[in-house]
Amino acid sequence: MKKISDIEKKRPTQPVRLAVVAIEDDNIFEAIANILPKNIIEIILIGHEKKITAIAKEKNLDFSKVKIINEEDDHQAGIKAVELVNSGEVQIIMNGQETYHGASVIGRAVIDKKKGIRKGKIISHLSLFELKDYHKLIGITDTVMNNMPNLKAKVAITNNAVLLFRILGIPKPKVAALGAVEVVNESMPATMHAALLSKMAQRGQIKNCTIEGPLAFDNAISQKHAIHKGIISDICGDPDIILAPDMETAGILYQSFVFFAQAKVASIAMGASVPIVLTSKIDSPETRVNSLLLAASIYG
Amino acid sequence: MNQSNKTIKNLAGLFSQVQAQPITKKLVVAAAHDEHILDAVFMAWEQNIIEPILVGNKKIITEITKEKNYSLKNVEIIDVKDKTEAAIEAVKIINRGEGDILIKGNVDSSIFLRPVLNREYGLRVGETLSHLGIIELPHYHKIFALTDGALNIAPDLDLKRIILKNSIHFMRKLGIPKPKIAALGALELVHPKMQATIDAALLSKMAQRGQIKDCIIEGPLSFDNAISKKSAELKGLNSEVAGEADILLAPNIEAANVLYKSIVYFAGANPACIILGASVPIILTSRSDSEKIKLNSITLAASVNLR
Repeated sequence: MKKISDIEKKRPTQPVRLAVVAIEDDNIFEAIANILPKNIIEIILIGHEKKITAIAKEKNLDFSKVKIINEEDDHQAGIKAVELVNSGEVQIIMNGQETYHGASVIGRAVIDKKKGIRKGKIISHLSLFELKDYHKLIGITDTVMNNMPNLKAKVAITNNAVLLFRILGIPKPKVAALGAVEVVNESMPATMHAALLSKMAQRGQIKNCTIEGPLAFDNAISQKHAIHKGIISDICGDPDIILAPDMETAGILYQSFVFFAQAKVASIAMGASVPIVLTSKIDSPETRVNSLLLAASIYG
Repeated sequence: MNQSNKTIKNLAGLFSQVQAQPITKKLVVAAAHDEHILDAVFMAWEQNIIEPILVGNKKIITEITKEKNYSLKNVEIIDVKDKTEAAIEAVKIINRGEGDILIKGNVDSSIFLRPVLNREYGLRVGETLSHLGIIELPHYHKIFALTDGALNIAPDLDLKRIILKNSIHFMRKLGIPKPKIAALGALELVHPKMQATIDAALLSKMAQRGQIKDCIIEGPLSFDNAISKKSAELKGLNSEVAGEADILLAPNIEAANVLYKSIVYFAGANPACIILGASVPIILTSRSDSEKIKLNSITLAASVNLR
């Protein structure tokens, strides 16, 4: 895929159902209003029914096709959404408040040991970018969920990302495992993780992908820079996925793409039994729609 | 310079040049007053592999040689009765440039090595001393090296890098410009609870990145993958090192030592062993080593110029 708009082409044959948890945020109302006419996603809002109707009316949005489940307690709303996933009634969930509270409401319900939908797996977040200076869509992970992942967590994060790319039609995505430098340095754990991940892919311990690392960012995205450093790898200059060493790096990279490179972006969290869309305040209404379309494309 | 590795099939092939060298190397024996070491030294001398300089208790040396019928004519003997002093004197002789190889006689290894590491007159040039055995087996198509079965107990990543640096330097002197190295583990996969597999994977990447030069490192490899291409292929390993290893890097001293001894006792090998990391080859034979191992070790030491 070359453009974020290509995601919409991979649409599910039947509309998929989305549950929005504890919805109150204005931004999300607009995203919902924008996505409804596409007939790809049906929407269930879980939250304070009176508030929801009032906001929709005030914004003059047509919510006649939206199902609303009245739940005034945020945490109960999260639990309800997960129940709907477990009963097979919804295929995507999204936070309805673009705050830390909103993310934690959904997060807690998802990871609940008894009723949750994590099933012991690591959930990780991937952002897919369209950059004008790069020849295809590129994923960055993990931008939100795992703060300081260890080797085992990075394996899971990579597997989640690889699965998404395979669904999007890339059977063997190329993964660049980033460090601050491209050499193994014992005082930089990221470089050691990257080297080990690269070997694990070689040994078939991480399947359906090739991994090169450690790579500095320039080596990862430019083959010329890689060759200059003596690195001969067909991943350099052509990665599908950039595995960041930690969440700070991934987050800063995300924001620099958005703010300095005017990137188009779609993000989802993978690893639970259904895709989770976690939008944030910095996202444009377009990004929210893109993320929902990305989640729906999994069923396409 | 031709960078292709030559295949050295056996120790005889490696040693064939020794007697033809224009100048015979001088072997300095630290605490030479010992029957076993004198047997080995005189055998090597008779074959014109080395010329001995005996440092030790002259009276005992004379008694042993008399009994054994070894001629002391033209043999330089430096009379030092104390073993510790003999070890120091032997190192000083090398340090003055009067000897070419150092061998341990009737003295404990730790006492023998202490002057080697002395800052003032010692011989260390590398970052550490390490032990390497060159092994010839009928079941393998060339000689290979095993390290480190004697000196470094539980080397960490950096120490393994240094051990390899010593080994690579030595193999290059033998005419193998880019040795293939198998970094061994108990299995060929990266296992977070097996440090050996982690170290091996990292060393492999470090060689790829040019952090360890003049070699190819594959790892983790289990022993069978390292020495048998067929076995490696069964595991789906596609590596130019598999089945072609010139150097086996053991994860720790126990693995190297047990492997070395099993090769000696069950496979009948007579390896040549050497200590690397000093300005000259150092030989540290043990009493249990066969005459042949001692002679091979001396010959190996005589066949390279480390300086």
